[in-house]
Amino acid sequence: MATRMKLKLKTVFVLYFMVSLLGLVYALMQLGQRCDCSEHDLPKDRTISRLRGELHRLQEQMKKSDATKQPQKQPAKPTVFVITPTYARLVQKAELTRLSQTFLHVPQLHWIVVEDSPHKTPLVTDLLVKSGLTYTHLYMLTAKDRKLQEGDPSWLKPRGVEQRNEGLRWLREDRRAQPGGDNQQGVVYFADDDNTYSLQIFEEMRSTQRVSVWPVGLVGGMKYERPVVEGGKVVRFHTGWRPSRPFPMDMAGFAVSLKLVLANPEACFDGEAPMGFLESSFLQGLVTMDELEPKADNCSKVLVWHTRTEKPKMKREEALQAQGLGSDRAVEV
Amino acid sequence: MPKRRDIVAIVLIVLPWTLLITVWHQSTITPLLATRKDDRRDGRSKSRNTFAFKESCSLQNRDIVEVVRTEYVYSRPPPWSDTLPTIHVVTPTYSRPVQKAELTRLANTLLHVPNLHWILVEDSQRRSTLVSRLLQETAVNYTHLNVETPRNYKVRGDTRDPRIPRGTIQRNLALRWLRESYRVNSSQPGIVYFADDDNTYSLELFEEMRSTKKVSVWPVAFVGGLRYESPKVNTLGKVYGWKTVFDPHRPFAIDMAGFAVNLRLILSKPQAYFKLRGVKGGYQESSLLKELVTLSDLEPKAANCTKVLVWHTRTEKPVLVNEGKKGFTDSNVEI
Repeated sequence: MATRMKLKLKTVFVLYFMVSLLGLVYALMQLGQRCDCSEHDLPKDRTISRLRGELHRLQEQMKKSDATKQPQKQPAKPTVFVITPTYARLVQKAELTRLSQTFLHVPQLHWIVVEDSPHKTPLVTDLLVKSGLTYTHLYMLTAKDRKLQEGDPSWLKPRGVEQRNEGLRWLREDRRAQPGGDNQQGVVYFADDDNTYSLQIFEEMRSTQRVSVWPVGLVGGMKYERPVVEGGKVVRFHTGWRPSRPFPMDMAGFAVSLKLVLANPEACFDGEAPMGFLESSFLQGLVTMDELEPKADNCSKVLVWHTRTEKPKMKREEALQAQGLGSDRAVEV
Repeated sequence: MPKRRDIVAIVLIVLPWTLLITVWHQSTITPLLATRKDDRRDGRSKSRNTFAFKESCSLQNRDIVEVVRTEYVYSRPPPWSDTLPTIHVVTPTYSRPVQKAELTRLANTLLHVPNLHWILVEDSQRRSTLVSRLLQETAVNYTHLNVETPRNYKVRGDTRDPRIPRGTIQRNLALRWLRESYRVNSSQPGIVYFADDDNTYSLELFEEMRSTKKVSVWPVAFVGGLRYESPKVNTLGKVYGWKTVFDPHRPFAIDMAGFAVNLRLILSKPQAYFKLRGVKGGYQESSLLKELVTLSDLEPKAANCTKVLVWHTRTEKPVLVNEGKKGFTDSNVEI
């Protein structure tokens, strides 16, 4: 009986020792994780860290709910490829910021940003990284003779041509490198960085089979321009300026299916086209008017607006700079 | 045959461990339970439900050319948290061609911000259907108010006379609404921010202002004829002046978008409003702030006022030459 007792005690002690060892190892592993160090912080910092933790938890919750929502939806939504030409000016960061805030709401969106620059600028690079979007960052410098000079009216030379063509070129190359039927699914949309887009327009364009069209607000010197739809087909265009153009609409008023873009590798924007014919120069080779698909409730709703941002007045800044007292250049605006 | 002594020994050894484990589990489970409850909490606001993407299956039965009727409501805003202070964003707005566009993109921005309450005040005799419908469709947590600026205060034509304060009456109405809706000793923390509908706001800005205790300030781009205006912050992290060219000797030489006020401060000083008459250009912000805080009470944000997180963008007035006198386009179509 005594030996049995001793044996039992020994095993108990051994057991005790193993459990303590495991507990210690576990505690050491916990050191690497997030801690609720509520005992050490001052009450002020405690509130801040609690709020930050709450925010972090909410964001993780959001990400989790977004991830679980996807498999419930219909399989493989076609991706919307948005090509945005951009160039450096004072309001560039603001425009791209609020554009990215809109895009962040749109699922399956791939943003192709093409800078009018000889190289990628840090401003745009950082912005894209922080945006949380799926993106491709490209650059293509406009030749000097094609570029608008200071003081030129905005309609003098077409803008963004080389950049949009570069976006198309990348898209074609990227898709060719990855063969597969699924990769041909998608819609291409040309979105300028100063326009305003509602979230509905992206869902409207997702079902594009060839080229879809819709009204655009605040363009062409009118409240809105739109295709006129009769019997479900586009019969003419309602516009106040040169309605005899093949496709008298704004860049923001149409989207092309990726399949069509890939099937016509020569289709691109013609920088030599006369003013207002830029969109037509691209669409002419792709589709005829009766093949156009009207969206936005048979083109009766305005879901995108051709807003333009004022150039900020820098009189005082220029005066200060003349004195050598300009605002800190290191601060990015 | 296990003896009683053995059993007692085993129990004595196992008991402290079980106690330890149960206590440890308790402490980790309760925070999880608290967050789960937030998801299910309803009835905050009728507009803050999480809708799903609804699509009618007309594609299978009909022609491609047929209009696909789709209904989608936004799947934001982020879930409401019980611990984050609410940001009450006060936006005065008035009817003009770009109004719907401006409010649309502002709503797209605000839908990313958790615990946000949008107070939209229209400069109109009654609440317009355009704004009401927009607010309902975006599913943002909102309050829709309206008050018309009396004609003698309105901006005449295109002239931007800085002596006539724009949006003042609307902002004051929002302040009054806040004071009527919330009691001083209520525990709901909140921040009040005046956001115009044509500016651009980064999402980081809203998180910076959430920790405001009294009044916090930060730089604003494209104001005062400069790349940006900002408060001057000394090495102790206190504001001592204003880096502006336009009248830097104002009590608060800051733009409306450059500061936020803690709700408790607004409620505790019920007489503080934006001054309506006799306000010199650029002094409107000072007319409110001087009733609330002193310079030394200001809290600098945005890395001690070295980062620009809000831009005072202005949208061009669209040229509507082709509309002519009678209006070329169908006036029933809302823009």
